[in-house]
Amino acid sequence: MNNRRRMTLFNLIRGCAAILMALLVAAILIFISCDEPWLALRYLILSPVLDFKETISFNAMSLYTIFGNMIPIMFTGLGVCVMFSANEFNCGGEGCVMVGAFVASLCAIYIPMPGFLHPLFCVLVAMLVCGAIMLIPALLKVKLGASEMVCTLMLNYVLLYIVKHFLTNVFADRSRGQTQTLRFLDTAQIPSIVVRAKLTWGFFIAIACAALIWLFMYRTRWGYTIRMLGVNKLFSGYSGLKVGGTVVLAQVVGGMLSGMGGSIEMLGRYTSFKWNSLPGYGWDGMTVAILAKNNPAFVPLAAFFIAYLDRGCQLMATYCDISSNMIDIIQAVIFLFFAAEQFLAGYRQKLVVKGAREELLAAEGGARA
Amino acid sequence: MSDFLSMLWQTAFFFSILRITAPILFAALGAVVSEKAGCSNIGLEGIMMISALFGALSSYWTQSWLVGVLAAMLVGALVGFMIGFFALKLKTDIILAGIAVNMIGDGGTQFLLYLFTGMSGNTSGLTTAKMLIPTVKIPLLDKIPVLGEIFSGHAVLTYVAFLMVLLLWIMLQKTPLGLNIRAVGENPNAASSVGVSVLRYKYIALSMGGALAGLGGAFMSMYYSQSWNVNMVAGRGFIALAAEAMGNHTPLGAMLSSMLFGLAQAVSIKVAGLPGFSSDLVSAIPYAITILGLAIYAAMRISRAKSVHRIRVPKAMR
Repeated sequence: MNNRRRMTLFNLIRGCAAILMALLVAAILIFISCDEPWLALRYLILSPVLDFKETISFNAMSLYTIFGNMIPIMFTGLGVCVMFSANEFNCGGEGCVMVGAFVASLCAIYIPMPGFLHPLFCVLVAMLVCGAIMLIPALLKVKLGASEMVCTLMLNYVLLYIVKHFLTNVFADRSRGQTQTLRFLDTAQIPSIVVRAKLTWGFFIAIACAALIWLFMYRTRWGYTIRMLGVNKLFSGYSGLKVGGTVVLAQVVGGMLSGMGGSIEMLGRYTSFKWNSLPGYGWDGMTVAILAKNNPAFVPLAAFFIAYLDRGCQLMATYCDISSNMIDIIQAVIFLFFAAEQFLAGYRQKLVVKGAREELLAAEGGARA
Repeated sequence: MSDFLSMLWQTAFFFSILRITAPILFAALGAVVSEKAGCSNIGLEGIMMISALFGALSSYWTQSWLVGVLAAMLVGALVGFMIGFFALKLKTDIILAGIAVNMIGDGGTQFLLYLFTGMSGNTSGLTTAKMLIPTVKIPLLDKIPVLGEIFSGHAVLTYVAFLMVLLLWIMLQKTPLGLNIRAVGENPNAASSVGVSVLRYKYIALSMGGALAGLGGAFMSMYYSQSWNVNMVAGRGFIALAAEAMGNHTPLGAMLSSMLFGLAQAVSIKVAGLPGFSSDLVSAIPYAITILGLAIYAAMRISRAKSVHRIRVPKAMR
């Protein structure tokens, strides 16, 4: 076993250990707070895919629901991957999802178009708008050196309130009790694959996007520059890479992906826009990106994991006396341990030492022979 | 317009600026300490949420506001220490550790609230008069007409917040502890070469920053909104980060820029009450002003750096 394979194995083990750690924390919380901890754990871990009514059976509908819930967080996760790869801690995914969904809704209501083109047009407009919005933090960072993180955190609130303003004062459907827009035109709907689980074709678009972004990050000049920036920004500038332009590129692409996620979510799974707070997909996207180690290829897997846990928490909250907000604590623990470079460092050290000894022995053996 | 200005030109309005500034100021001071030690703590928002919850709960359990405030401080310090543990010991990127704390502050607090009390959303059912931070009338000052109305009658913690500016300045500039914290932040290698334990002072600074933000959280839940609510901190921890950056990493500067943001919020609260204004758009103002302030500060810093550069390089040498 050579050193590289040993390190891959170690990374795999460490990832699993981080996830186990999170589940352990979840289990402790469940045992503290619940009268029937084993039942709650079963709901959390097994019920998303298994049915326990009379006999244990596979629950396909629940699995499709998980696939459906993966759609928005795959997009935001991909966006965060691109931005975090460049070491740009842009937290604007949240606001972009909101704006993307709202802009797409407006296009879906007020601009009639033939069937196939309509959703495409809506999503494109949402992407353009969100990309343009992300120019604000990107240019502030490049031109003035202002922290993109603080800027985007503030921007999220600004975008939320602007969308709320337009929703309640300009585009509201007055005939409804609840604040919402008019119904989308039928042509704008993104068709469903499984209607009851709200699984739309957006799922496959998201998978395709993951592949495209992987190609972009690992097979193009721009992607390489983005990743180089994350490794060493000073050196990238020194060796002639266009640092400023790349920072802008990374954030704009990240914003576009988040906007795409918001619009596809809205057109696929709702019939009118009625969000009145930030949906939280931006933060989920960050967890997804951390789990995927900023590699777009792993994003679908990471998104599946988060959606699975989320579903488990929902089920647990429905049937046991536990708040579904536990998912946030689980996510935070995953976040902390997954990103921890020194987590299990002692074990890594042992592996390295063992590898070095083996090599020495082999070399000695070779010398004697 | 003149009606509106006369509405602002009232003692009650200036009073409200100080009240609104206090929580931002606490968090901004917390950011100053951590930043001085070279750690950018973006978990302040989450720390405020968590300690606001524990402050409200422990003051309910003991029926004493003082215990609540101390508990909030302690919890804040613990969370700050936890960020330190992950960032310094396990080498998680400190920004990611901060984001994780914010996640706990957002949803985790709701989980904990339900766990401890079975309530969801807010603790307004628990509030009693004993749990709230008392206000104090300052003798003599409250007899003076205008000044008394503005500066007297605030909550204890409001005064503590502004007092903290002075205390923190003394601590950072005049004590060995402060010197070490600054040394560790400015040049960790130099500090460790003369035997200062870098890790130790980073831990201390992060915990102190957490405790300060914890006071801000206690202020929010035990005075400002009189109970703990979902999303009650509403970005104040992030605004504090901007205030700290604009304040040039000094306690006094952080205070001035916190007051600027406090002013923006106070104005937007006033404007929201007027007819004909969209309350949603008005709510966006403080956040938009924060972005603007951040940009202007950054631009000023660049132009200052340029002018310094021009002076230092004589014409003959260009």
